[in-house]
Amino acid sequence: MTRTFLPSSHPISTKFLRIGVLLSLCIFLAAASHGRISVVTLPGRDTVQLTIYNSADLTMVKETRLLTFRKGLNKLEFSWANTLIDPTSVEFRALTQADKVEVLDVSFPPRVTNTLEWRIQSEVAGEVQVEIRYFTSGISWAADYVVEADKQEKRMTLAGNVRVTNNSGEDYENAQIRLVVGVIRLVEEIRQLAQQGRPGQSQPPPPVSATEAETKVLRMRKAGLALAAAADLAAEKPKEIVKEGVSEYFLYTVEGRDTIPTGWSKRLPSFKQADVPIVSYYKFEKEQWDDQVVRFYRFKNDAESKLGKEPLPDGVVMALRTVTADGLCAFVGRTAVKYIPIGEQVEMQFGNDREVTVKPKLMDWRKEDIRFDPQGNVSGWTTKETWEFELQNSKEIPIVLDIRRHFRGQWDLKTDAPFEKLDAHKVKFVFSLQPRQKQTFRYELTTQHGVNVTR
Amino acid sequence: MNTPIILPALLALLLAAGTAHARVKLVALPERARVAVSLAHPDATLVEEERLLTLQKGVNQVDFSWRGVQIDPMSIQVRMLSHPDKVQVLNTSYPPNENALIWEIASPSAQEERVRISYLLSGLSRDVVYKAVAEPDEKSLALRNYLRLRNDSGEDLTDAEISIGYGTDFKKTIAHEEILELLSEKVDALPIKKVLTWDAALLPWDPEYQKQTVGIPLSYVIQNDKTSKLGVHTLLPGKARLFIKTGEKGDGVAFTGEDWVPLTPVDRELKLYIGQSRDVKVTQRKIKDDKTNIRRNNNNQIVLYDTDEELKIEIENFKKDPITLLLIEHIPGYWKLEKSSHEYKRKDAFTIEYELSLPKESSGNKKTVVTLKYSRINVQGNEPQTY
Repeated sequence: MTRTFLPSSHPISTKFLRIGVLLSLCIFLAAASHGRISVVTLPGRDTVQLTIYNSADLTMVKETRLLTFRKGLNKLEFSWANTLIDPTSVEFRALTQADKVEVLDVSFPPRVTNTLEWRIQSEVAGEVQVEIRYFTSGISWAADYVVEADKQEKRMTLAGNVRVTNNSGEDYENAQIRLVVGVIRLVEEIRQLAQQGRPGQSQPPPPVSATEAETKVLRMRKAGLALAAAADLAAEKPKEIVKEGVSEYFLYTVEGRDTIPTGWSKRLPSFKQADVPIVSYYKFEKEQWDDQVVRFYRFKNDAESKLGKEPLPDGVVMALRTVTADGLCAFVGRTAVKYIPIGEQVEMQFGNDREVTVKPKLMDWRKEDIRFDPQGNVSGWTTKETWEFELQNSKEIPIVLDIRRHFRGQWDLKTDAPFEKLDAHKVKFVFSLQPRQKQTFRYELTTQHGVNVTR
Repeated sequence: MNTPIILPALLALLLAAGTAHARVKLVALPERARVAVSLAHPDATLVEEERLLTLQKGVNQVDFSWRGVQIDPMSIQVRMLSHPDKVQVLNTSYPPNENALIWEIASPSAQEERVRISYLLSGLSRDVVYKAVAEPDEKSLALRNYLRLRNDSGEDLTDAEISIGYGTDFKKTIAHEEILELLSEKVDALPIKKVLTWDAALLPWDPEYQKQTVGIPLSYVIQNDKTSKLGVHTLLPGKARLFIKTGEKGDGVAFTGEDWVPLTPVDRELKLYIGQSRDVKVTQRKIKDDKTNIRRNNNNQIVLYDTDEELKIEIENFKKDPITLLLIEHIPGYWKLEKSSHEYKRKDAFTIEYELSLPKESSGNKKTVVTLKYSRINVQGNEPQTY
């Protein structure tokens, strides 16, 4: 590749490129301190790598370019109008001749935004491969999932996708894309820093050192740098997304290179697993959902369930259920799932299902064991409640129904139905209902009040 | 057609290297080979359509775009039907500010591929509508359930296989802005029970003090079960209009009222309140209301007592037919029923119900008299009435 040095008497203007990031290599003229007029070149990017976080509006961009240095002092201008690059994050390093190329300082020229200049001392003349790294906002990624349950709701095909959206103002062409699953800490928003155009006054320092989070980011970066760039591939199969754990994070590296122009988004298949066992699980908890019975699909992110290879990032799930022999589906629901670690059991909530009903009825209420204080006022009493629940599964498939009841005060429960005490004030009943089965159960709840309370 | 409808357009084009974000539009618009609409979910409509794509060997770009149609872009999925193992979707791109997406589909050879595209479509609303015609004796009725579809989705659904989650599917065409009513269920000679419901908490106790004749709510009770020729699926909420056959020639009917049908699972009762009867008169009086077993505090204030209460309910039926009356009484707190002239059912902790058969023309000295004696126990004045 040949590079031409074009003498120019004009400062670099943004009209040259829509991409916004301009790079100029200038001979440093000690005397010419006013005009930043020098020799300009615009070497293209050789490689670009995007590391996109999903917990914050943050993407780390790493690009390499081939620059031609002169021996001595070189001035390198980097500008990025109409993008969302954080000026405080831009870093430069030489990849080749690293011990002979040294950044002396970096200047943000007066009255100019979105521009910086590096003063670089080079002991060699010639081509040097450099890496420029910076943070940008405006690129995001999100996971999404498609669930296709079988008719019996016993098994599902789970397909995971990742969708990258570029609203950064910059077209990143042929970029290697890496996605970070994890939560990092930022003390200032990248977008806000970007909008200032040049390093502004920092926010007051936080009460506790931010180094903890920063260390993690650095560790991430180092880990990222150690990764070999994936080779370009014959694009006739879906790109593999390589997943690896790094510290508290998971890093997804999309095979090959992608171009996502600004304004566009792109969805890539991440994995697809058939025959994942699920339980069609229903919950009734008045304190949560009033009188409605809420449907869940429950599965486990483990090897037994043919999953468990990686944590599943939080994302939106669209669930369908196959209803005909030729694969036509019914819509089950759409929900958001939380981040699912390996080995974790997951419940995807799909809202009310009218085909399962729970009707609790208070059948008897008594107030007994009245006690009086020395003034003759009622100071203690005991209530006894008899509850009857009508459960009905109107569906053609067996279901599991989880009923939770909250009890206040000092209570005792008497029932033939098995239950689990979840905490001091909550119990759980679990029933298996066959297709079209109706069932009732009862319990008697005794609650102590006033001086009758003994514990 | 008055309204221009722009259908989702599909075009397959050979991927030209380097035109990754050029939106080249070539013409290749395969017609839909099949459309299926699932209305099984109460809040969402799933459309699945099948189209025959002609794929080139290698990577094909397939452009799916829509205008004037309310498709949820996040919901769009595509599946290969002919060669699901060999033909693969590489990725999906979403251009800015457009209702479109582009699939990159890799095919090992030039071939036809049947694909199924599914998405959630809004603007297709549905109502369940019930119409019933009762026999003059009000012992049975003919029930018709309709599905009323309103298509404001912007999309013409031609020969769509419509499924509602139960029963058989329909194959219908419903154009944009069309409202289509489909008969989804038809039951003749469905047994009903006509009942009046007098609820002591809702109606005046002494009609003599009322300026107008007190109307007693009249309902038809239907069991959603096999003996009633129903019991196959949950009856979904919707409006029911009830008619009754008249003596008029040619199946004349009169409208007797309407009500909302609540969600009624199989084997549960559906009670439709359709009007009022003013030919039955109920007078309820509390003939005894004593405190007993009174306990006082040191300031001589009553802090706890029991009661001795008695209700007398007189019911007159001026009609020429016998009728069933449900009499509902509410007793708060902890109580014991000591004596009742008639059999009753405990509906819940604070409610009892009498089902009374009122003989025809049972007024005056033939009237039905219900007496009910109960005491409330350990009353403090803060007893629960509901739960």
